[in-house]
Amino acid sequence: MSASAGSEFSDGSAPKPGPGRTGRDWADPAFSGLAKACGIVVLVLIGGIIVVMLSGGRLAFTTFGPGFLTSSAWNPVRDVYGALTPIFGTIVTSVIGLVVAVPLAFGCAFYLTEMAPRWLAGPVGTAVELLAAVPSIIFGMWGFFVIVPIMARDIQPALIHSVGRVWFLHPFFSGAPFGTGLLTGGLILAVMVTPFIAAVMRDVFNSMPPVLKESAYGLGSTRWDVMRQVVLPWSRTAVIGGIMLGLGRALGETMAITFVIGNTNRISASLFSPGNTIASLIALEFPESAAGSLKLSALLALGFVLMVISFITLACSRLLLRAGKA
Amino acid sequence: MTTMQPTPTPRLATVHAGAADAGARTMIEIENLDFFYGASQALKDISIRFPERQVTGMIGPSGCGKSTLLRVLNRMYDLYPGQRATGKVMLDGENIIGPQVDASRLRSRVGMVFQKPTPFPMSIEANIAFGVKLHERLSRADMADRVEDALRRVALWDEVKDRLRANATGLSGGQQQRLCIARTIATRPEVILLDEPTSALDPISTARIEELLDELKRDFTIAIVTHNLQQAARCADQVAFFFMGELVEVDSAGAIFTAPKQKRTQDYITGRFG
Repeated sequence: MSASAGSEFSDGSAPKPGPGRTGRDWADPAFSGLAKACGIVVLVLIGGIIVVMLSGGRLAFTTFGPGFLTSSAWNPVRDVYGALTPIFGTIVTSVIGLVVAVPLAFGCAFYLTEMAPRWLAGPVGTAVELLAAVPSIIFGMWGFFVIVPIMARDIQPALIHSVGRVWFLHPFFSGAPFGTGLLTGGLILAVMVTPFIAAVMRDVFNSMPPVLKESAYGLGSTRWDVMRQVVLPWSRTAVIGGIMLGLGRALGETMAITFVIGNTNRISASLFSPGNTIASLIALEFPESAAGSLKLSALLALGFVLMVISFITLACSRLLLRAGKA
Repeated sequence: MTTMQPTPTPRLATVHAGAADAGARTMIEIENLDFFYGASQALKDISIRFPERQVTGMIGPSGCGKSTLLRVLNRMYDLYPGQRATGKVMLDGENIIGPQVDASRLRSRVGMVFQKPTPFPMSIEANIAFGVKLHERLSRADMADRVEDALRRVALWDEVKDRLRANATGLSGGQQQRLCIARTIATRPEVILLDEPTSALDPISTARIEELLDELKRDFTIAIVTHNLQQAARCADQVAFFFMGELVEVDSAGAIFTAPKQKRTQDYITGRFG
């Protein structure tokens, strides 16, 4: 060891720090062991969570069978539970959230990368990132005190009297305008996931080789031509990956939704009707569930279902993001 | 102009002395052009004429402003904040750096080919049609004719006619660059700008592009930036030597390479610097 170190000095090159040269032979194995342990802890944690959810929910799964997923009953008095309503609410609010958030995020990213003057792009970009950092409980309160009254007073009546008059849209835009409900939940989600999607889109658009954009401009394209025909096809998969990332967040969102969703175990075509989401239902019912009860088991089973839905979403986004980079 | 000029050159006189442009109509006439990247000046009081249907080669060491000049001619600099040009750049009697000029329309008249091939991630056919669709409404048959014509003119048709719908990124580098030239001429511009179009290509592909330039100058006015002096000597009718943002000398290719009037030109072409 010391001989090799000496030879490095003698040939004039600078000594480099490395294993075995300073008498700290244990440091490197210790560090790699520690790092390995950290990695394994994460694996154990995720595995443990899955096992707890699955074993906790086993009673519900065995009692109701596959019908747990297709039943819309939720009756603590008769001890009958089904997951359909919260699954429905989770998916509908998330889809509404995405339908609103994706164009918003796209416009934002497009403006930031192609149009905004530099002095404005910086602050707006930071604002988008700050929006992503706002705690969800803030969005919940804001939604309840600001958005719900606006929805009840203005937006929902306006929708009922406009798109609600179109016969095939009528079922979706009818009912009493309470302000709460699936649509409001979806809109809150849209505000929450927009910054995530916009940040991914902005990075993807920025990573496009400038010379490719210039070639398109060089043929006489307008900004919109360049975006639609060159940037978007070029970054399609990565953009979809970013959207899936937003979807993942929307699916699991709890507090903001709890404030505005209405918390009713009901499936209705109307987007104004109150409903429930998996995360919100669990948060509300958990304190009232006795240990070992079928209800608690049903809640854990719901948690398992939510994890499965989120995992599928995340896996899709990872696959698409990887394909986009390749 | 308040710009300091260490060695004032009788530029227009030099131009007229050039044998290459004798009798040719002037396509682009630049007068007293200054260009700035923010506060730093990249082009200083440039005046030069580009004769119609001739190849003008622009040579000079890196950072001398020759690529910048190309980017003025199609207003590519518009895309970036802080870059601005002053002076006169007349194309068919219109000052194209004036504020009222529509950059998209200008770029359909002044096409550009870049250093590295830049095929769009779409089919070969769609790459050619891309620029045409921006400015013209053609029937399907007319568009097919236009695509074939453009590909024939760059001698790519026989190589790709059986896979027009294949993705253009699958072509070789030389093919991609010829595709980019085809894409540019398909929009029927008046001027074609080439920014070191062969520097990323192998010698055979380079030779094909150079042959192509000879064909293309029958229909188009061509400005080519190159680091390769032999290329400038082979392809260009008129050669302009740029140094530190100044146009040092412009003359016929023969005169520049055999009897340069300026010492700096002579130093550069004999390899003493740059």
